[in-house]
Amino acid sequence: MARMPREKWYDIARDLDWELSYVDYEAVFPEWLSGHGKIPREAWAKWDEPYKVTYPEYVATQREKETGAYSVKAVLQKSKVFEQLDEGWKSVAKMHFGGVALIEDLAVYAELRMARFGLAGAWRNMAIFGSLDETRHTQISLFFPHELIGKDPQYDWAHKAYQTNDWAIIAARATFDGMMLNPNVIDVAIQLPFTFETGFTNVQFVALSADALESGDINFANMISSIQTDEARHSQQGGPTLEILVEHDPKRAQWIIDKTFWASARLFSVLTGPGMDYYTPLEMRKQSYKEFMQEWIAGQFLDQIQDYGLKKPWYWDEFMAGLDTWHHSLHLGVWYWRPTVWWKPQAGVTPEERDWLHEKYQKWEKQFGRIWDVIIENVNNDRMEQTLPETLPWLCNLCHLPIGTAGSPFNDKYPIRSYPLKHNGYTYHFCSRPCRQIWWEDRDTMHDPTVIERLLGGEIQPPTVEGILGWMGLTPEVMGDDAYGYRWAKRYQNGNGTGQHPNAQSTAPAGQEGR
Amino acid sequence: MTETQDATGPADQAAEAEPEGQPVPVNALFEDDFVMQLILVLDTDTIDEAAQKVAYHVVGRRVRPRDAALVFRVDGKVIPGHLTVAEAGISPLSSVLVGWAR
Repeated sequence: MARMPREKWYDIARDLDWELSYVDYEAVFPEWLSGHGKIPREAWAKWDEPYKVTYPEYVATQREKETGAYSVKAVLQKSKVFEQLDEGWKSVAKMHFGGVALIEDLAVYAELRMARFGLAGAWRNMAIFGSLDETRHTQISLFFPHELIGKDPQYDWAHKAYQTNDWAIIAARATFDGMMLNPNVIDVAIQLPFTFETGFTNVQFVALSADALESGDINFANMISSIQTDEARHSQQGGPTLEILVEHDPKRAQWIIDKTFWASARLFSVLTGPGMDYYTPLEMRKQSYKEFMQEWIAGQFLDQIQDYGLKKPWYWDEFMAGLDTWHHSLHLGVWYWRPTVWWKPQAGVTPEERDWLHEKYQKWEKQFGRIWDVIIENVNNDRMEQTLPETLPWLCNLCHLPIGTAGSPFNDKYPIRSYPLKHNGYTYHFCSRPCRQIWWEDRDTMHDPTVIERLLGGEIQPPTVEGILGWMGLTPEVMGDDAYGYRWAKRYQNGNGTGQHPNAQSTAPAGQEGR
Repeated sequence: MTETQDATGPADQAAEAEPEGQPVPVNALFEDDFVMQLILVLDTDTIDEAAQKVAYHVVGRRVRPRDAALVFRVDGKVIPGHLTVAEAGISPLSSVLVGWAR
């Protein structure tokens, strides 16, 4: 049978819509799901995606991608590549699998919501492809680590993590529920494809793929690249939606972008920062996290939103200053509270690594080095109990990350402090002014109780360290420990078992150090 | 982090038979540390005892010990060490700062 040429049918098929006669428009596209707001209905006729694809083309391309990724995996299955990978790099991969695999599944629902409630036929069509993409991403992100479970049970958390109450997962769930599931679809399109996927994941996947290749993890690099090509396509639902929103309600557009960028940046500082500046072996690091964020996230994102006539977010200076500190605090916290994670954090503070950190972050020694010195002394003097926690950090009511990690010690502008808010007789605590403001404005869609609130509310029983770890789903064979069995600390050993890096700066009054 | 003890206080605190006072969870920072922590004090604790409970989770772990007394602050004001937590009006979920006396 002869086929009609693509150009004859494509525009009708991709943007099919009709006048409703048996039901009200509002019943089909209710405000709370579609989020019309101030945008007139006819404005959506302009929605036009920059990258166009037909279903047969989509299937052919996806088949090719799948064949590529899975055949490389099959070939490598019999090799010794995995055994030769650095333990620090494996932690990057484990963190990624646990933190991302089932978020891809959550994104299937976000795409499906846009496929049903999106206000233009072309948008709904694009979202169908997006939902198929995210289904593939979930499958591949679960399949690749599955074969490794026999070698290391921490890989089981690729599937398990998102179904637990681990603190990192509660933080991710809170952010992504607020981004994908709670809001109407216009907000979803600005938050997920535009701000998060265009602003963060596209570039993160490129950087992560390069680091994976450099570290010799060809499978991971292949998987990530394969996913990224889909992201680059379906993330384009954001631009046309934003264009229409900016025209009719620029204030709303600015707010959605501002709050999502902040929440994503906070989460990225724990998901990506430690991996780039501490876990990736020193000789394989291409850029520091700060350099990467400045170049790929901050610069590009600002250019992009300014192209749409939007302004720099109100907290921009605070975000930029945070590139010097947030992820260092979070890395230190993850290492100190290491039994609460499903990977093996690598401390990343050998003398050479500290030289690198000092070169990239001039205040690192003063702000964080002296804390690591105390930890190193405890490790080298067999005081391991002093290197393990007996309580929990207080967590932010918005981002769910520890309060203090949006600032740093010895930092006059952004010190360690809580930004409290009394509401209905209850005190909420926040890590920063932006988190407090976002929570206040959007508390109906962004409020989840923190682990601290659940502990104090009696949800965690028994309220002991063991009880908390059990409640988080961590079992002895999975809970995190130092990636290298603390061998790195021996580099600092001298006669009395203590040592300090030459860059270290004293902060104690003379004569009182080390008592 | 595998011992069976109360997550919010020193081991000997949990080992005591029955605490006499009411627990008051506070959001505490020890000077020069990098993070605020959940510390459970009792309303009958003196401020000096409460300061020790905060220090227990930080000093010698992430901040070097010093030969100096501890100072307990709420909203920037120093709270006298002999007062109890209840007398000082410290309520659950308050932010407190403990540091060294200069």
